[in-house]
Order: sequence, then structure tokens, then C-alpha cells
Amino acid sequence: MFRCTLVVCGRGVAKRFASSFPGESALPPNLLLPTNLVDPARLRRPPPPADCSLPLLRKCDAVVPAHLSPVQTWVETLARLDGEPLGLAQLHPDVFAVHPRLDILHEVETWQRNYKRISHASTKIRSEVRGGGRKPWKQKGSGRARHGSIRSPLWKGGGVANGPRGPTSYFYMLPMKVRVQGLKVALSSKMAQQYLHIVDSLNIPSPDPQYLLDLIRHKHWGESLLIVDVGEEFPENILQATASLKTVNIIPAIGLNVHSMLKHEAVVLTLETIKFLEDKLLWHDQRYTPLYPFKLPYSDFP
Amino acid sequence: MSFPKKPGGKALDVLQNLPRITLANLRPEPGARKTLHKQHGGNRSGRGHKGERQRGNRPRLGFEGGQTPFYLAIPKYGYNEGHSRRPQYQPLSLKRLQYLIDLGRVDPTQPIDLTQLVNARGVTIQPLKRDYGVQLVDEGADIFASKINIEVQRASEGAVAAIERNGGVITTGFYDPISLGILIKPVPFFLRGQPIPKRMLPGEDMVPYYTDAENRGYLADPEKIQQARLALAKKYGYILPDISKDELYHMLAMRKDVRQIFFGLAPGWVVSMPEKKILKTTDEKLLKYYSS
Repeated sequence: MFRCTLVVCGRGVAKRFASSFPGESALPPNLLLPTNLVDPARLRRPPPPADCSLPLLRKCDAVVPAHLSPVQTWVETLARLDGEPLGLAQLHPDVFAVHPRLDILHEVETWQRNYKRISHASTKIRSEVRGGGRKPWKQKGSGRARHGSIRSPLWKGGGVANGPRGPTSYFYMLPMKVRVQGLKVALSSKMAQQYLHIVDSLNIPSPDPQYLLDLIRHKHWGESLLIVDVGEEFPENILQATASLKTVNIIPAIGLNVHSMLKHEAVVLTLETIKFLEDKLLWHDQRYTPLYPFKLPYSDFP
Repeated sequence: MSFPKKPGGKALDVLQNLPRITLANLRPEPGARKTLHKQHGGNRSGRGHKGERQRGNRPRLGFEGGQTPFYLAIPKYGYNEGHSRRPQYQPLSLKRLQYLIDLGRVDPTQPIDLTQLVNARGVTIQPLKRDYGVQLVDEGADIFASKINIEVQRASEGAVAAIERNGGVITTGFYDPISLGILIKPVPFFLRGQPIPKRMLPGEDMVPYYTDAENRGYLADPEKIQQARLALAKKYGYILPDISKDELYHMLAMRKDVRQIFFGLAPGWVVSMPEKKILKTTDEKLLKYYSS
């Protein structure tokens, strides 16, 4: 648990090591540092103070419980390179500040990887291998070991005794509420570690991918970015810009999942996406158990 | 405790100083994955020494070495004979009903039907397991205090007294299994696109129950029901409130027709959910059939 206090950063650690050993000024050539060390150049903008002059662009639609207070964050813009926030937004604590249940994240991530898996590995057993119906030699008198078929697992070219059998499916479903909680935990952890950014809209001035890369480098958002927006149509510019980039990806809000959020370093949500997510994710906290599948119409389904 | 706590608690603060959570950092909770150790080794592979145990020739389950086994020594008796032909009624206590009304899951200002109870998830009915509906049980009769118009399939005397003492109306009605399945899950039925069927009348053995005024049956005579209400009030020792002077009299007097399944919908109508329309037939023969 106290490993975190020893870990500071790539260049920073190297500089500190260099300064504590006065004889050496250069980095040792075989220095191996883990890549998930926190970079101090990453702007850790403090959360908005209570007396901020910027306007509150979004309040929580749903009722916030009395013992919790909404999470305040900056709302930025992609249109300009300068990086000044446009305003503040309030996020619901039951979606963006739940307890960081890493075990739920692990469960949902393994489920996402495995439920689609169909392994096609297949071997033939002794009855399926061609041949091997006749007893190769008589039981007694030949001096050799007794055998009943030339395709038994003991033989070269024989069947496999306990091998993989045909396409196997690893399909299973986690309970709906566990998957919902996984999304909430992922959003809360991104918010807590300051990798979640809120943007007013996805309009960028040019379809050039370099613009996005410059923006990300200027704002120190990280190496990879996941952009999420609600709606069936996105602005052309952002679609063209992200089409050729490998590390910057754009998805609709219904496609938000734990694996993508963990794979990309930073996540960018628009204000409409936050409304959509809060609506959908908070409903599960206080819903009845389903009488019939949720695919059929319910009067209060969001 | 009035000032708001920081949401997420200290765990989120601790997270701020920890490395980024990535796909490489996730691991299951210690103790969540228990490795199953199969049997490995042992002189006789864990099978014991000689005999039927090691040779895999043990007799069938229940065999007692030749002595008459337990499952044959006990004589048969028809405890469960015909169990699949016995109607079952899911019990609903007045305590649970009061709980649902207090939490706002059931609306007392509208007639309470089995559909309302199931929508509020107050009871779970399984028509395929010979459930014929819900029965009112008098647990909680002393704390019950709501004026409601309720329709159940069976009711005990104490429950009837408790409801009428508070100025409510109780009726017992019969639903055949198909109508019951439609009643508890109306939305999947409407999506089928079939016309609402008419509710069948009870079978021979249930007709005496539903024509009796003591049980507030839906086939009983209204005057006899009124006399039964007075008699019950006298027996249990409470003054019967006069519901005709009540402001909710119109709601309390709502009762379903003998062949009707839903309030406001008649048999023969087709409810179209995607178009949000009700289709009524104009054919004479069908009208005659559905109104018989």
C-alpha cells in the first residue's frame, strides 16, 4: 500500500536519484522504470474552488441524496488550443463518486473478454481417428504388449484422450446490476485520478488529426483518448480527425464499456453524454425486479 | 450528520496518489478465486483397499445390504396425491399490504387488483404452478388502517372484517389460469396481438364459494352481501362505516363484470401497444360471443 509513496515519476525519479548520488550525473543506462508511473508534467488541475467565477453549466437532474454532495468539475472546450475552462459542471455522486471497487472492475473486464469467446480447438478421440477397428495382433503369443486398436491414445497417431472437444463457448452473463456498477466504478476511478474531462461539444475547427494531437499534448491529457458523445451523428471534423488516429477513438454513449475506458488513458465526455449516462445508470439503483425481460416495453424504462 | 460527506469517502482520495488503473493492474479480490485441487497421487488413487469400493462395484443408492430399505419399509399414503390438481393461492398478509400502501407502491385511491399487486412486486404469482391467485390472510389485522377497494381470490374472515372495519370494500373473484396469466403480465399479452378473452366462470367445486355472501363472492347477491357485512360487524364488534356517504364512493363501488379481466377493457378488444390504439370488433357474431 505504501508503494505509491515511493513512486513519483519517470524523469523526476531519475533526477532525484541523480541528485542523491553526487558522483553520478547521468541516468544509468540499464534503468528500467514501470510505464504506469504518474507523470508530474500532467496538469493536475485542482478541483474548482467554491468561490469560482465561472458559470455553472450543468446541475444534476436527478435528486442527490442528502448525505452526499455533487462532484464539481471543469468544463473545457476542444475548439481552442489555449486550454482555459468554459465553466463548471456538477456530476451526480452516485455515478461519478462511488467506492472504487476494483474487484468489480476486474470481474466486468474478464466478462467482457470471455463472454464472446468461442474456442474452436478440437481434437479427435480414438473412435473418430480413421482406422483402428481391428485388433492389431492376437492377445497372446506374439511377445508384444496387448493392444485392441491402433488408434488408442497410447499409440503414435492415435486419438487424444482428454483433449479439447469441438467449439466450446465461454458465454456467461454477469448480473445486470454488477455490469452497471462496473461502469459507475470505472467512471468514478477516472474522475478520482483526474483522467476524466468534460467538454461542451465536439466541434473542432479543422479535420486535421494533428490538431487533436497538439490539443492533447498542450493540455497534458495523456497518450490515448476516448471520446464519448450521445447521438447518431457526430461532427464531420472530429470523425475525420479520429479516423486515422490509432490512440484517439470516438464511440457513441451506448458503446461505453469498462474495457475501452481502462485501455485509453483519458476519457472525454460531453454534457449530453453525462445526462444520458446519469439517467441510464441511476435508474438501476431504484428499480423493481423485472417481471418480463427489459426488451419489452416498461412505462418507466429510461 | 447533517453536513454532506465527501462522496466516495477516503478510498477515492487514496486513489488520487496511486498509479493509473489500467488493464494490467486489475486482479481479483484475494480469496475470490479458490483453486480446486483434484486428487493426485496416493497408493490406490484415493479409492481405499480392495472390495467394492476400490473396484467400483457398490450397490445402488438406498440399498441396505438386503434389509428392507427405508424407502420401501415405510407404507405409502396419499399425502401428495393429486397435488398438481389442487388450486394454490399465494398468501398476502394485511401487514404486507399495509407496508406496500405506506411505501407508496400500491395506490389506495384506485381499485387494488392482482395486476396492481404484481406491478408493485408485492406478491409473486406463478400460474404454471397451479396458482389460482392471491388469498388475504389476517396477520396484521390489528394494525391495518387503510380504506381500499381490493379484489382477491380468497379471503379469511378476519381479513374481510379488518378491511370493512376501515371502510373499505373487498370482493373475491375467480380467474381461470389463462386469464390469470394475462392479468399478472398484461404487457407481454398485449404484445401478442390477441383479443382479450372473456374470463371463464368457476368450476363446480368453486361455485358455492363464489356465490356465498360470507366470502364476498363476485357471483353473490348484493343484498345478501350487505346483510353479511352487518352480521360480520356484529360478530367482530365494530361499527360498520357507511361507504355510500364517502367521497371515494364511486371508486369503492367499482367492480369488474363477471367476464371482464381488466378494468376499462372489455373482452374482445385488441390493444395495440406500438400504435397505442384499442381495436374493437364490429362483427355481430363476435360481439354476441364476447358479450355472452
